[in-house]
Amino acid sequence: MGRTRSPRRPATVSAADLVKQKLRIGRLLPDIDPGDLDLILSGLARPFGSGRRFFLREIKPGVRIF
Amino acid sequence: MSASSDEAFVLAVLDALKEVRLEAIMVGSVAGLLQGCPVTTQDLDLLVRDTKANRTKIRALGRCLGGRPHLIADPSPTLRIDLPAATLDLLFDQISGGLTFQALRARSLTLSLGGRTARVACLEDIIASKEAAGRPKDLAQLPILRDTLRVKKALQKPGG
Repeated sequence: MGRTRSPRRPATVSAADLVKQKLRIGRLLPDIDPGDLDLILSGLARPFGSGRRFFLREIKPGVRIF
Repeated sequence: MSASSDEAFVLAVLDALKEVRLEAIMVGSVAGLLQGCPVTTQDLDLLVRDTKANRTKIRALGRCLGGRPHLIADPSPTLRIDLPAATLDLLFDQISGGLTFQALRARSLTLSLGGRTARVACLEDIIASKEAAGRPKDLAQLPILRDTLRVKKALQKPGG
């Protein structure tokens, strides 16, 4: 579509650490959906400046991308 | 690491705020995502005090960023600066939930972003304002914002 994507950047928390965190927090907060927990822990692991995108842009009325 | 265009926009706004010496608190979804919430948004919301001096500084901020502040809708006092990268909204004195500039400032965080300093409303206040605003787009974000806050607190416990 001609849109440049930000390249994936290494997070400050390793994948192994994320798995450990997910197991631990999943036990502490079992009501949080595992998929949401993945998203949250990944979001917390990515520092500002790591290439994260978050602004939605309207490409035509009612259609937004980021 | 290199910043995305969205992160670069946040940095450009911080630079412009410093340039025109306008004190602002980041509120809204960007404040949440700067604290790790996995959310997306349409704009960057800044809360400022409504003073004559700040109104002048906001016009200078627009010039600095290459846009012109305009009212988004009468009677809302919110000013908007439309920019190619994103939209910047300037709110005055308080946000939904009766959260005043002074109260938000007292509980705010000071974050270092790309060598700049940003004053950001705490996650608890962001959640409270979205609960009070009650628009569908605010309500839709509440579960993930609340869960992120709970996860952050759990991570801070020993062994986290």
